[in-house]
Amino acid sequence: MTALLEMRGISKAYGSVQANAGIDLTVTAGSIIGLLGENGSGKSTLMKILFGMVRPDQGAIIFKDAELAPGSPRESLRAGIGMIHQHFTLVNAMTVADNVMLALGDAGFWLDRNGVAERITQLSRSYGLGIDPDTVVENLPLGARQRVEIVKALMRGADLLVLDEPTSILSPPEIEGLIGVMRKLKADGRAIIFITHKLGEVLSVCDEVVVLRDGKVSGRTPVAGATRQGLAHMMVGRTLAEPPQRASRAPGPERLVARNLSARDSAGLARLQDASFSLRGGEVLALAGIDGNGQQELCDTLAGLFPALAGTILLDGTDVTGWSSKARLTAGLAYIPADRSDTSLVQSMSVADNLALRDVAEEPFSRFGWLDAAGARTLVEQRTRQFGVRMAGSDAAIGTLSGGNQQKVVLAREIGREPGVLIAFQPTWGLDPGATRFVVDTILALRDRGGAVLYISSELDEVLSVGDRIGVICEGRIAGITDRADVDIVRLGLLMAGAHSQAAAA
Amino acid sequence: MTVAAIMPRSPWRGGLAWRVIQSVVWSLVITGILILMAGKNPLVAYQHIVLGAFGSWDRVIVGLNKAAPYMLAGVGVALCFRGNVANMGSEGQIAMGGLAASIVALIGAGALGGLVLPAAIVAGILGGAAWAAIAAAINLWRGVHEVLVTLMMNFIAWLIVAEFLHGPLGEMDAGFPQTPMFDNAAWLPKLVARTDLHIGIVLAVLAAIAAHGVLWHTVIGFRWRLAGASDRASHYAGVSRARSVLGLMITSGVLSGIAGSIEVLGVHYRLIEGFSLGFGFNAIAIALLATLKPLWVIPAALFFAFLETGALSMQRQIGIPSSLVLVIQGLSLIFVLCAVGRGGRKV
Amino acid sequence: MDAALTIDFLSATVRIATPILLAAMGGILIERAGTFAVGLEGMMLSGAFFGVVGAYLSGSIVMGLLAACFGGMLFGAIVAVATTRFDTEHMVTGLAANLLALGFTSFALRTIVGRGQAPVIHIPLLQPLPIPFLADIPVIGTLLFRQPPLTYLAFVAVAAIAVFLRRTRGGLLLTASGENPLAVFAAGTDPIRTRFVALLGGGVLAGLAGAVLSLQQIGTFTDGMTGGRGYMALAAVIVGRWLPLGTLAGCLMFGATEALQLRVQAFNLPVSSYVIQMVPYLAALLVLAGIGRTARLPSAIGQPFRHD
Repeated sequence: MTALLEMRGISKAYGSVQANAGIDLTVTAGSIIGLLGENGSGKSTLMKILFGMVRPDQGAIIFKDAELAPGSPRESLRAGIGMIHQHFTLVNAMTVADNVMLALGDAGFWLDRNGVAERITQLSRSYGLGIDPDTVVENLPLGARQRVEIVKALMRGADLLVLDEPTSILSPPEIEGLIGVMRKLKADGRAIIFITHKLGEVLSVCDEVVVLRDGKVSGRTPVAGATRQGLAHMMVGRTLAEPPQRASRAPGPERLVARNLSARDSAGLARLQDASFSLRGGEVLALAGIDGNGQQELCDTLAGLFPALAGTILLDGTDVTGWSSKARLTAGLAYIPADRSDTSLVQSMSVADNLALRDVAEEPFSRFGWLDAAGARTLVEQRTRQFGVRMAGSDAAIGTLSGGNQQKVVLAREIGREPGVLIAFQPTWGLDPGATRFVVDTILALRDRGGAVLYISSELDEVLSVGDRIGVICEGRIAGITDRADVDIVRLGLLMAGAHSQAAAA
Repeated sequence: MTVAAIMPRSPWRGGLAWRVIQSVVWSLVITGILILMAGKNPLVAYQHIVLGAFGSWDRVIVGLNKAAPYMLAGVGVALCFRGNVANMGSEGQIAMGGLAASIVALIGAGALGGLVLPAAIVAGILGGAAWAAIAAAINLWRGVHEVLVTLMMNFIAWLIVAEFLHGPLGEMDAGFPQTPMFDNAAWLPKLVARTDLHIGIVLAVLAAIAAHGVLWHTVIGFRWRLAGASDRASHYAGVSRARSVLGLMITSGVLSGIAGSIEVLGVHYRLIEGFSLGFGFNAIAIALLATLKPLWVIPAALFFAFLETGALSMQRQIGIPSSLVLVIQGLSLIFVLCAVGRGGRKV
Repeated sequence: MDAALTIDFLSATVRIATPILLAAMGGILIERAGTFAVGLEGMMLSGAFFGVVGAYLSGSIVMGLLAACFGGMLFGAIVAVATTRFDTEHMVTGLAANLLALGFTSFALRTIVGRGQAPVIHIPLLQPLPIPFLADIPVIGTLLFRQPPLTYLAFVAVAAIAVFLRRTRGGLLLTASGENPLAVFAAGTDPIRTRFVALLGGGVLAGLAGAVLSLQQIGTFTDGMTGGRGYMALAAVIVGRWLPLGTLAGCLMFGATEALQLRVQAFNLPVSSYVIQMVPYLAALLVLAGIGRTARLPSAIGQPFRHD
């Protein structure tokens, strides 16, 4: 069977990072290809290139036996490539039919609502999509909205559909529904590229799996005969340098305990499900996980910024589940959020102001409601020196500092207060190697002084090198916590890819 | 080909103050062209404006008196906009402040004796603050956009004042809707004896300085700035948006209430219909021209006020319509907005 | 209440509502596309002014109407350039435009006609155009079919905009631009250009609304003659939930309360006229508070759109 799509030798670099390095990918009509990989493996870049949103440095794309002009979403659309993005381009206030009409570029002046509605109903019936063209998108659950995006792509004549992490926002029954739709599309002769990090889904619906790692294809196999272990190994298997030996420490007292934490987001989807762990003084508990598996909700719930639906949080033995974030901060719980641009720091304010951000009502930053610039200055100078912040003066807007120095300010604030417990969420994101090392060393030093650290990152290497105990967060659950000496990388990979939740289904 | 692609690149250069000055200069230039098209000499016109504004001590005093309520209300609006609260209601807050002050001035004259003046001012403060608080409550509790609430309440306030003027407070057989003149005890004291200059300008400048102090040197001001800069960081820092909104609106209401009070207690010595007309919108324009810095509101308010007095005089002297000043104000504002762009509300 | 009074009251309602209605239709276009229509007042005033001056200088009412369209569109363009090219904040830009319109029209009027004094231009009013046959129906005929041309235009505009929004591709794009500009962009159109065009079109309608005042009802231009009707139109749009029919209802309500206020003596109502004048604003507030957080503003209104 001739290939519908052939991507040959695709390479793309962003600065010094090689996002894609000589990738070959072949897709035949009437098949479903799974594209598997961790964060940063190069999946999104490859698909953006396919869809014309990004131009490759090298390589060619042959689609339906014709070379596809790179860098033009219009061309890719016209050729018949349909992309279902993670973030929908739907107008919530309008009906399904209206949304589809919007997407059909060149209809005439007058709208043919009935005609379009009928075609939608037909498509919906053929593929079991269950879409009523007259429903307002706002009233549709997320799974149904995704199917509207699929309808849009089909009505534009897509022969190849790319689904980018489609199940991350779906509930289990909706996932089943989507798999059913995919099978029908395949039976109809279309091709699907299914991007995911979940092994169970790959094994149940794909014909072939391509695994990406560090921008290269690390493995390619038909699904028949593939095993979870094999796939996990392709995803994460690496020759790691021996993790640096560490003086084993006697664990301290229990500082932070989470029991059966559950939380839902505004759309009602469960983000945390019975998450539990126990964190002791003098240790780093590092959790690995693909983005979007509940890490943000876990951190925010622990810090008091997001309400927990159920469960308890104990800080040094006290139940703080209902406490405000301020109260928890005072009790010794510090938090480094992942987002430097708009959460842990205010870019337009000065370094000094950012250091005062969470404690402005206390000494030495203020007295009796009046800001104490002199008192603050002493502390600011001390901290910025202690943490090596390079800046043009503490009154400079923090936006003028480099990413590494900005993060040092965050450290100066959160670690400078000598917290009993620190939650660090992606603290090295976007930092160069030197700054990364500094951040990690500083956090480890806190641990050496007896602090308890919960370290969450999507970089598996980092988790492995930082954690005294290592676990995985996946689909809002925490699993697989083991001492660093006993860690089995492949098992970690399995857990990250949702193996434990698919255990029943498999 | 998008619209953005065919428009000229931004001509603004330099620091913020420079850009504001450029905006004003451009507005004067374009207005000058309009004057030319009208067949008059712009330089002569501007000369008359300057003379009219500064030509004599009396003229200067009129300008200072006019600047006082502008400055007060402008400071309040500037604080609100900084905190990301789009308060368009100073017009109504000034009206309610003036009404409350008038009621106390009329009714309390005998009973309170010498205390009637401070009581009237306090009443004005409460009137403005309450009006603003109601708007904030509707916004916070029912989620109605603060612009809509405050705009609607402006109209309602004006009508309430009119109702009082044509009803219980009004002076019989005056040709004009107004209250009887206030008792001397309720008059705002003069800054300089035997002139018209009342202490309003001092209050206004003090308010601007105080606002600057609060904004930059207090914990509350820090929280207001934070609320205006980033919602997410505010949440992370434990700052409640509702409290910030309420605090800002009430503060602005207080300042507008004082503005309304000094108009009725210091300029007219009575409540007259339409006394607050246009003040509120001018205050917004002034706050934006000052790029939301309380201290810069001082020169911005003076600029507006003297422009107006000068233009009135120019109209009398050489017949060029004083509405020219609205053109200058409108153009300055638009140009400053363009120069500041997206940062307009959070400078 | 006798019949003649009722007809007179209803007639006045329609007359008062007409300019607000036309402006509100323009407001629907502008707001649905994603810009706050605070500048309606200035567009209306400009239209009123240009209408009078155009008719006066050319001697032709038709030229006056075209000039009114231009006048409204001019201020629509000012707001459009500022908000799309310079990313200014919508509401204060609208306020600034209103301020500018107030000053400019007042100044230009005196320059063109007077010698610095308040000039008086008299333009013969647009006369009622009875529609043959329909105008002879008792009651309704007098009320609906003996109206001056711009009033017919206003009601036609309601229908035209309703059809435009619901049944044409342009209307779909316009609505989408104000709800989710990204979706419009993904569909291949520039949402910012759509907003720009909507501002121009809305400006034309608002300009004609001004002409209703100056060319159809009063016959001259006086400073600030729109007197806040532009803001009322904005309130009507919001009360009407950005829908043509709902907005029509809102405008009629405003018209009715003002007509009522003017006739309160005749109806022997014990309520003060000022309180009655408050009713539309209080009603607007109540409706908005009632709708509360679910008020369906176009989702992306006031937000700039940048794609790279």
